This record gives sequence, structure tokens and C-alpha cells, in this order.
Amino acid sequence: MFAASALFVLLSLGMIKARSRRQVAAVVLAGCVAAMVVAPRPARAQGTLIGAIQAVLSVINGTIHTALASIETTRNTINQFYQLRLWPQQLIKQARGMAAQMSARYRNPMYSILHINLRSATLPATQALEQVIRDSQTTDFNALTTSYANVYGPVPGTSSASPYDQNMTDMDDALTEDTLKTLKESDVADALTLGVADQIENAAAQAAPGSAPFLTATAVVGAIQSQAVTQRMIAAELRQEAAYLAHRAALEKQGASSATSLANALMNLFQ
Amino acid sequence: MGNRMREWITRGFKNAGRWMRDHKLRAMCLMVMLVLLWPRPARSQFLDPCCAIMAAGLSTISKTLTHIVGGGLNQILAVDQNLSNFERNVVWPVTLINQARALVASLGNTYHQIQTVTAQPVASATLPAPQQLEQNLLSGNSASIPNTTADYTAVYGAVPPSTESSPQMRNMVDMGDAVAQDAMKRAIEIDNLAKLELQAANQLNQAIQNAAPGSAPIIEAQADAWLVRANAYTQAATADLMRVRVVGLANQGENMKLGAAASSSMMQKLQDLLK
Repeated sequence: MFAASALFVLLSLGMIKARSRRQVAAVVLAGCVAAMVVAPRPARAQGTLIGAIQAVLSVINGTIHTALASIETTRNTINQFYQLRLWPQQLIKQARGMAAQMSARYRNPMYSILHINLRSATLPATQALEQVIRDSQTTDFNALTTSYANVYGPVPGTSSASPYDQNMTDMDDALTEDTLKTLKESDVADALTLGVADQIENAAAQAAPGSAPFLTATAVVGAIQSQAVTQRMIAAELRQEAAYLAHRAALEKQGASSATSLANALMNLFQ
Repeated sequence: MGNRMREWITRGFKNAGRWMRDHKLRAMCLMVMLVLLWPRPARSQFLDPCCAIMAAGLSTISKTLTHIVGGGLNQILAVDQNLSNFERNVVWPVTLINQARALVASLGNTYHQIQTVTAQPVASATLPAPQQLEQNLLSGNSASIPNTTADYTAVYGAVPPSTESSPQMRNMVDMGDAVAQDAMKRAIEIDNLAKLELQAANQLNQAIQNAAPGSAPIIEAQADAWLVRANAYTQAATADLMRVRVVGLANQGENMKLGAAASSSMMQKLQDLLK
């Protein structure tokens, strides 16, 4: 409004001051140009607005609707895949049931088989030794030493055996006792390992797919522990077998030495 | 002051009227330009048909958005909620996961018990030389392996010299000593390895206690690798055990052979004597 008034005043002044028709024509022309610039633009056609609205509706009903429908279909497919294929609840229950059923079926019979009384000694000293080597205790190693000495006797004294024989006898006895003690330890470890297996099986009977990895992982740790115990047992057996071989080799050495001494003695005798 | 202003305005109108009479064409041009430049009235928002169409269009868009977009999103939300409930209650229930972690912690105590039980000293020798050898054999320390030969010789003696024994006999004795010592050294190694395996097992179990359901299988894979390794160590120990037994059998055979040769030689000498 202000711009239009100012322009009109300017054009009026121009018209008053104009000296010739040419100047009047110039002022009229300037006015027309100014009117075209200042005048408001004509409103857009209503048809364009309707078209725009229809275009938006078409996008919603077309592209967006299709996209949402596709997402829903995909999510439904994933959901069904999870529930029916990957983690079907019926099979999860079946697996739990199998763990429970197997532990009920096998655990007690296997426990009974493992705990059948194997003792067979008939004399007091051997019965005591058999008892102590099979009692799965690690607090009675002294009793084992005593019972062992009662059955197999002590290392002979210096009056009845050479230092060489004493050493070998002591080594044989020591490694035998070491192995028996290691076996007592491994018996305790066995019982503990079986307890671990029972606990893991009990937990498996109630596990979910998401908690089972913890059980399998700790079961593997238990298997490593079990392997380590087995290795210690094999190491004990290695020592024992090595000592047996060493003893036989030592007897050969003694035999060679004795034969040389005998030959020397005979040679001296015949000379 | 007011009269002067009124006179000035009156004079101005009179001058303007006079100018318009004198310059009719210019006055007409100015009137036309005034009409052209006069501002147009604003359109009413209520009565303009354009606004009505826009309002109807926006309402339709709103309804369509509510129905198509809102409805579609609600259906997706329902599926996602169902999925979320399934995962929380069936696949990864927090209670069962925590129970499993608690069990792992409890089993860790049992594993520690196994470690303590199997680490109890079992040494039993009574004389100095056997005690020294036994201490070395039970040390579980591979650094003490180089002492084995000296400790072994102190108990079992050295290979007899060539003046006291035949080459066959010396070979047999040396082989027996060698394999016996190898086995003893392997036993020290295996004890040392078993000790390290038990430590690793404890470390793995500790890691499982702090794991998430998604990271537990990674630790399990690591534990599986350790189990494979442990099996390999067991195989190595078993191989040495078999070697000891095999050499024992071979020595037994060699004794038979030497005995047969000695008998044959004795028979020959007796025949020579009786001739």
C-alpha cells in the first residue's frame, strides 16, 4: 500500500513536470511497468491444488501403503521363522523332557553299576590295604603307607640288601604308593566330575535356548578339567611303567656286574 | 493555524482541478495508473473456494494417513511386540539365564575342589637318592627335566662298561634306560601341562560367569579349542606309555634271544668237553 502510494505520487509529479507528449508517454510507460511489478500475482488455478492433494494421497495409498505392507509381511515371516523353525516351543519342551527322561532312566542305574562293591581280599592285612586304596579319600595317605608296608614289607635294611637294591626297592615302593595316592585323588575328582555332569544335566532339563550356551560352555570346561585329571593319571602310570623298565634294566646291569665278578672269581680259582 | 491549513488545502484542490481541466489526457492517464496501482483486497479464508478444497484435501490426507500409515504401523508394532515377547519369554528368559550363570559359578567351586584334591602331595620315598628322583618326577615343573638323568642314574645305575657286558646287552640296557627316562620326563611335562590346563579352565569358567548369551558361544569355542589341545596332550602321554611297554616287550624278546644264544654256546662247549 505504501509502495503503491509512493509510486503514484512520483508518477503524478512526473506527469505534472512533463513538457512534451513524449515525456507524458514515458511517464505512462513507467507507470504501467511499475503497476505490473507492484500488482499482486494472480491466484493459482484450483486445479493445481487438487492435483497436489491427489498426488500426496496417491503416494500414501501407493508407495507408503505397499512399503508398510511389505514390512509387515517380512516381520510376520521372520516371526513365524523364529517361532516355527528356529525355536519351536514344542521341540524346546521335547528337548527339556528328553534331558529329564534320560537322567531318570540312566543316572541311578549307572550310579549303582559304578558303586558295586569290588573288594576281594580275604586276609586282614590285604583287606586293610584294599579298603584304603578304594575308599576315595585323600585324608588317609598315612594309613595307605602303613597298610602297604604291612602287605609288601618295608625297604630291607643295610644288613640284608646292598644300597643299590635298597634304592631300587624304595623307588619301586615309592612310585607304587604315589600311583595309589594319585588314584585316590582321581577317585575324588571322578565323584566331583560326575556331580558336575548331574548338575549340568539338571539345568539342561530347565534351560532355554538362550541359557543353554552357558551350560555347554561350562560343560566343556568340565571336560578340560577331566582331561587334566586323566593326564595326571597317565603321568603316574608313565612313571610306574618307566620305573618297571628301569628296574629290569638295573637287574641286567647287576647281572652283568655279577657275571663279570663270577668270571673273575672262577678265573682266579682255576689259576 | 487551522484556517491557514484549510486555505492551503482548498487552494491545492483548486489548483489540481484547474490542472486536470487543462490537461485532461494526463489526468486520465494518472487515473488509470491509480486504478492499476490500487492494492487488491485480500481473499477471505472462509469464503475462498481454494481454502475449502485445501481443507477437504488435508482432511482426506489425515484420514488416509491414520488408516493406511497408522494402521500399517500398528500391525507392524503388534508383530514386533509378539516377537519381542517370544524372545524374552521363550528364547532368552532373563531368569533362566541368571540361573545358568549361578550354576556356572557354583560349578567353578567344584572345579576348584578338583584342582585342590589333585594337587595334594603324594611323595612316599624314604631314602635320599629315591627321594631326590621322586621329588623331580612329581615336581610338575618342566624346568627340572634336565636333572632327571643324574637322579635316575643315582638310583638305577649307569650302562655297564664294555668290559662287563656284551654289546647286545649294553644296547638293551641303554634302550631300556633311555625309554624309561623319556617316559619320566614326559610325565613331568604332562603334570606341568595339566596344571596349566586347570588354570585355563578356571579362567574360562570365570569368563562364562560374566558372559552374555551371545558371547558365551565364543568362550565355548575357546574352551573347545582347549579341549582339543588337552586331547592332543593325552595322546602324547599315551604314546609314551605305549613306547615304555613296547620297549619292555622288546627287551623281553632280546633276553630270550640272548638266552638261546647262551644255551647254544653252552651246549657246544659241553660237547667239545665230552669229545
